[in-house]
Amino acid sequence: MGQTSGHQERSEKPEVAPSKVMEAEIEVQNKKEETKEVKAKNQKLISVFGLADLKNEAIGLYNLGQSCCLNSLLQVFLMNIHFTRILRRITVPPSPAQRRSNVPYQMLLLLEKMQSGKCKAVGPTELACCLSEHRVELFVQHDAAQLFLTLWNLLKKQMKKPELVKELRDLYTICIQEHVACQKCSFEVKSKSTMLTLPLPVLDANSHRLKTLEDCLQYFFHPEELTGQNMCFCQQCGRKTPFLQSMKLVHLPQTLTLHLKRFCFERSSRTHKLSHSLPFPQELDLRQVLAESQCQADDNEKATWHYELFAVVAHSGSASCGHYCAYIRSLTDCKWYCFNDSEVCQVSWDDVKCTYGRSNLYWRETAYLLFYMKKHPQQPWPGLSGCL
Amino acid sequence: MAQWQEVQGLANTYLEQVDQLYAGSALPMAVRQSLAAWIESQNWRQAAEPLCSHARILFHSLLVLLGERVGSLGSDREDLTLKHNLRKAHRELQAEFQEKPERFANLVANLLQEERRILRLGQAGGQEGSVPAPSPALEGGREQQIQRRLAEFHTALQEAERAFRHLEDLQDAFDFCFKVHYRPGEEKNRDPAYLQELQSLQAKLQNLDRQRREVLAQMQQLLGRSETLQELLQQELGGWRTRQQHLCLGGSADTNLRPLETWFTELGQGLFQLRQLLRALGDLRQKVTYARDPLVAETPLLEQRLQEQLTHLLKSAFVVEQQPSTPNAGKRPLVLRTTGKFSTRARLLVRLQDRNHRMEARIHIDRNPPNIKGFRRFNILTSSSKTLLAGDNPQEGLICDFQYLTLKEQKDSRAGKGKGASGEGPLVVTEELHLITFTLAYACCGLELELEATTLPFVIISNNNQFSSAWASILWFNMLSSDPKAQQFFSSPPPAPWPRLAEVLSWQFQSVAERGLSRDNLLMLAKKLLGSKPSPNSTVAWHKFSKDGASGFSFWAWLDGILGLLQEHLKQLWKNGLILGFVSRKQEEKLLKSKRTGTFLLRFSESVLGGVTFTWVEHNETGPPTFHAVEPYTASELVSLALPDIIRDYHMSLEEKNPENPLKFLYPNTARDEAFGPYYSQRLEGNLSESQKYLNRRLIRVSSRPPNRRQTEEELQAATENLETLQLQPRGQGTPGDLGTPLGVPTSPGTPHGVASSPGTLQMVAMSPGTLQVTPGNLGTPQTLQMVATSPGTPQVTPGSLGTLQGVTMSPGTLQVTPGNLGTPQVGTLQPPGLGTLQLQPQSLEPPQVTPGAPNLQGTLQVAPGAVQVLPGGLQVLQVASGDLGTPQGTAELGTLPAELRDLELLPGGQDMQELLQGLQAPSGTLGTLGTLGVAELMPDVVATLEESLEESLEQSFQLSPGSAALLAQHDPFLPQPEDSALPAVPSLFTDLPPLHIDASDFQ
Repeated sequence: MGQTSGHQERSEKPEVAPSKVMEAEIEVQNKKEETKEVKAKNQKLISVFGLADLKNEAIGLYNLGQSCCLNSLLQVFLMNIHFTRILRRITVPPSPAQRRSNVPYQMLLLLEKMQSGKCKAVGPTELACCLSEHRVELFVQHDAAQLFLTLWNLLKKQMKKPELVKELRDLYTICIQEHVACQKCSFEVKSKSTMLTLPLPVLDANSHRLKTLEDCLQYFFHPEELTGQNMCFCQQCGRKTPFLQSMKLVHLPQTLTLHLKRFCFERSSRTHKLSHSLPFPQELDLRQVLAESQCQADDNEKATWHYELFAVVAHSGSASCGHYCAYIRSLTDCKWYCFNDSEVCQVSWDDVKCTYGRSNLYWRETAYLLFYMKKHPQQPWPGLSGCL
Repeated sequence: MAQWQEVQGLANTYLEQVDQLYAGSALPMAVRQSLAAWIESQNWRQAAEPLCSHARILFHSLLVLLGERVGSLGSDREDLTLKHNLRKAHRELQAEFQEKPERFANLVANLLQEERRILRLGQAGGQEGSVPAPSPALEGGREQQIQRRLAEFHTALQEAERAFRHLEDLQDAFDFCFKVHYRPGEEKNRDPAYLQELQSLQAKLQNLDRQRREVLAQMQQLLGRSETLQELLQQELGGWRTRQQHLCLGGSADTNLRPLETWFTELGQGLFQLRQLLRALGDLRQKVTYARDPLVAETPLLEQRLQEQLTHLLKSAFVVEQQPSTPNAGKRPLVLRTTGKFSTRARLLVRLQDRNHRMEARIHIDRNPPNIKGFRRFNILTSSSKTLLAGDNPQEGLICDFQYLTLKEQKDSRAGKGKGASGEGPLVVTEELHLITFTLAYACCGLELELEATTLPFVIISNNNQFSSAWASILWFNMLSSDPKAQQFFSSPPPAPWPRLAEVLSWQFQSVAERGLSRDNLLMLAKKLLGSKPSPNSTVAWHKFSKDGASGFSFWAWLDGILGLLQEHLKQLWKNGLILGFVSRKQEEKLLKSKRTGTFLLRFSESVLGGVTFTWVEHNETGPPTFHAVEPYTASELVSLALPDIIRDYHMSLEEKNPENPLKFLYPNTARDEAFGPYYSQRLEGNLSESQKYLNRRLIRVSSRPPNRRQTEEELQAATENLETLQLQPRGQGTPGDLGTPLGVPTSPGTPHGVASSPGTLQMVAMSPGTLQVTPGNLGTPQTLQMVATSPGTPQVTPGSLGTLQGVTMSPGTLQVTPGNLGTPQVGTLQPPGLGTLQLQPQSLEPPQVTPGAPNLQGTLQVAPGAVQVLPGGLQVLQVASGDLGTPQGTAELGTLPAELRDLELLPGGQDMQELLQGLQAPSGTLGTLGTLGVAELMPDVVATLEESLEESLEQSFQLSPGSAALLAQHDPFLPQPEDSALPAVPSLFTDLPPLHIDASDFQ
């Protein structure tokens, strides 16, 4: 109801319509070709794509009923100008029915609604309905990491243009190489695979708390011996032998997603949350965190492994009932915002730091998903398609 | 805030956009400009919500303000147009939005939002895409940040309350409509009017649902922000705790709890308010609920979160404001005496309580005693509970103040404890840490909690003499322990990093005498403790600090002795920097060398507990300068005569001259009276009635000039004769006629630690051969030179002393001379410290390992019998002398000596000496026996060494060659190295060697 008046206002105002934004983008792309310096190009790009997203303030999303998880993730997607840049170029499905069930399209609609609406929050009803058609149920508590995967896969699947799909992949997927080597003979299996998030354990094998995010990353890429029950069948030896399993980092995307596995499955079959403190840095340089042996990348690739924190999806409450909110650092004005459904407010790094967690405070907000953004974006990675 | 101002500062292209924005707007720019501040401070977005009465209020306020503005304008031409424009706007706004103020609110909200967008664009453009600096509001001090956040929290809380009231309105409206219109039943289902009602009812419910979710989202946000706020407060509280600890250690820190109390109370208030709001939300749910009611799902979560936060806040808000301390302990809390009373106070920083609920605070000592063998258990004798009441004066806050507490050790305290701690020895009393725990049953607004606060660990002593080492424990713990409850800390105390220790030591001086330690002071202390220059990584072990003592007392005991001396007698001098204090001998000489004769400095004795001394420089016509230091003054002397007065009246007698004060300039270059003038005590002169009865008198200190030694023995003389003076005199204890007098110096009650270990000793040790070489020149009498040279055991003989009345000073080896002196009854001053000195001196010709122990040890420890026990040292010398006599080559050399010395040679056998010895030790042995004993049994090498050195020294005319030193060093592992000769080698010498016993029969 409040929105109706808002829309009326809107019609009276000189507004940049969505189409105009796209024109502007194209215009800039042309300009971009003219400019020769890459650095200047990048800056222009940011400021221009910022232009599209600067149009409005951070806008809240109404909770539709247990949709805080979805809302937080949507904010993380839509505040990412690299993502919206892809989203804005999708083809609109021809039929109304197709449009209704097309996730990228609905997401774009929501984005436009958020950015053109004159309200402090909008309801993502249509998108939620669309998602429920794809077995993402409404009114259900989701796990943010799970939902992020689902959403991303839906987006990828429904973006028809191959170049967009490729860009989406470039933007989010991590490339790793898995090594499994028999300890008895030289038999070795190498396989490349891609991941959307790095699921980082927060406890080590002995259930000791890892101290920092860097420790978690190191532990994640630490080779693991498969012995005893975990022994694998070796083709060469013809029997089960102890194996050494390790992972090496091959490529990192523009947007690096880290998943802190803060939920602990105890024998009691009940999951409980680990609330202990786990500090994460504002700037993350993977080159310094990981050892040479944990990477499988050339120096060019590694040179881009310098990240800056972009967003934190935080969870408060217990494993069975809780609330999600998102802390996002706007890529255009470089300020932190906290998105609590329809409530949005500007915050500071101190607030984000509060999501490190604290061992004796179980109901507090604790970081669950971390999104890091490359500080110096590089050219599309040529080798990526090879490993997909 | 001043958004409009920022907008006006934009570049032209963006200003154009703003212009366009207002060109098509129902709100003219003139109005925006005139009421800029007011418009920006209103919440238009909130007012724009449907069914909100706020919009109407805002709209009318705007019209009123606009009217006022028009009225306030003058009659200028410019104003005229503005006036016209504003009036026109007033009319038009009224006409357009009178009926729909929400639309107006929405319009303004959108305009402001659009302005902000343009502003961002403009500012981003201006910065060429660079990262904008963080807004200045986010910077600034921690304090401001907390204040700002608190203000924001309260604003947000008010908004949440407003939103909540709005929700109540919506719910009431819906409830009413629902009850009136909702008539479930078949017959009405087809009635279009009814269907329409149902539809509107549905819309109302939707609206209600949305509002509920919004309120919940606001609460989530509020809780998120208060978490940050609380985190900041906890950090501040942590800072306060550290500051309190510093203050306990004597550091200076602001431990005012007032700001923290205000912040904690404000946040607590806010959280309680939020709790109230959450409960009210629960009530709303009771009245109306529906499928997927967000209140059902989310309120429990919010309640849990809030509960946890409040609990956390309150638990941390209970702090020990005043750590346990006895009232007269000065600046040293945390050391309690079993007999004394002490007090401690806790405070609840959240000043909120139910008026009608009594809160009781209790104290417990050692609630969870550590499993340490022999750990003493105590009871608090006085009442251990107290009702916590908000005082009549709300300024006081919620405190529980326990005063006049006393402790009593439990009878079976030490028995049967600590069975589990096998193999661990019991801790000493001063390393036993105790804790007092406060508990408080808190209740407020239905929230009940048990709060707890624990004091810092303290030490319980039963005797005052444990005070110093107890304080050392407190220092060590608070400096190093990361866990404030670690009662087992001293089971394995960690070493202290030197920089940290240095800081804490400096605090001790700061707190006692308002002046910390300088870099040079600390450097000297570090060298003393570490034996080398400190590096940032140097550490000091606990036992090295508090237990191991080079000179019979630990480093800390020594330092604390100085602190005590400062506190009692030298506060002002130290505070004003007149005492250089901690200066190594080397440094001292370096400092004084280039200064005028008579330049002196004040420093603390390293060998005497709580002693201060002065060293001055004297330049001779030839040769390098000499340095003299007086025997340290301790509290027992300073209590009767203040140091400035001593300095003023200090005199040294020169041979055949009038005594004069050698202290002329305080280092570096201040005239003595200028530096110390303000501290001289007033002389009482001219009181006629008094002076009729007695002559005026004052105490002065006089030293007689030592021939070639740094060590100066001082003597107290009265300007007029009186007995008091004699009592004060260190060696005045002996009567003039007493034969023991010469050796009796260390027996004086005033110098219990014995002169032997005076700083002069150390100076002596470090003294280079070069210094010795000069000394003869000082004497001015060639015979003396020769004499000194030939008798290595007795380098210092004052020839003048024999003749003069005050031929007081006999230096170390002078024992040979002494007999002669004894002949003149009034002299009688042998300087025993000299004995010790010489023995320790590496270059000294006398083998150090021989004599060392006996005289030092005995001289230091024994008081009265010391007179006797110093003797052995003297006897050694005597042996040497007699040995010399026996050896032909010795006689050959002696042949060159003047007659006096020959006299001296005879002296050992002299009747005087025998008498002396007899006087000292009732039955005495013959000297001959003694000589045999010494040469044959005690030190077979000595004679040989002496002989060799003797030759060498003769050849080189008393220039002690390094070779002779090396020779000595070869067979003496204890010989201190010239470089680090400070203190260390001395004690091992006299602790390792058994004291010499002279059997009486030997003298027969």
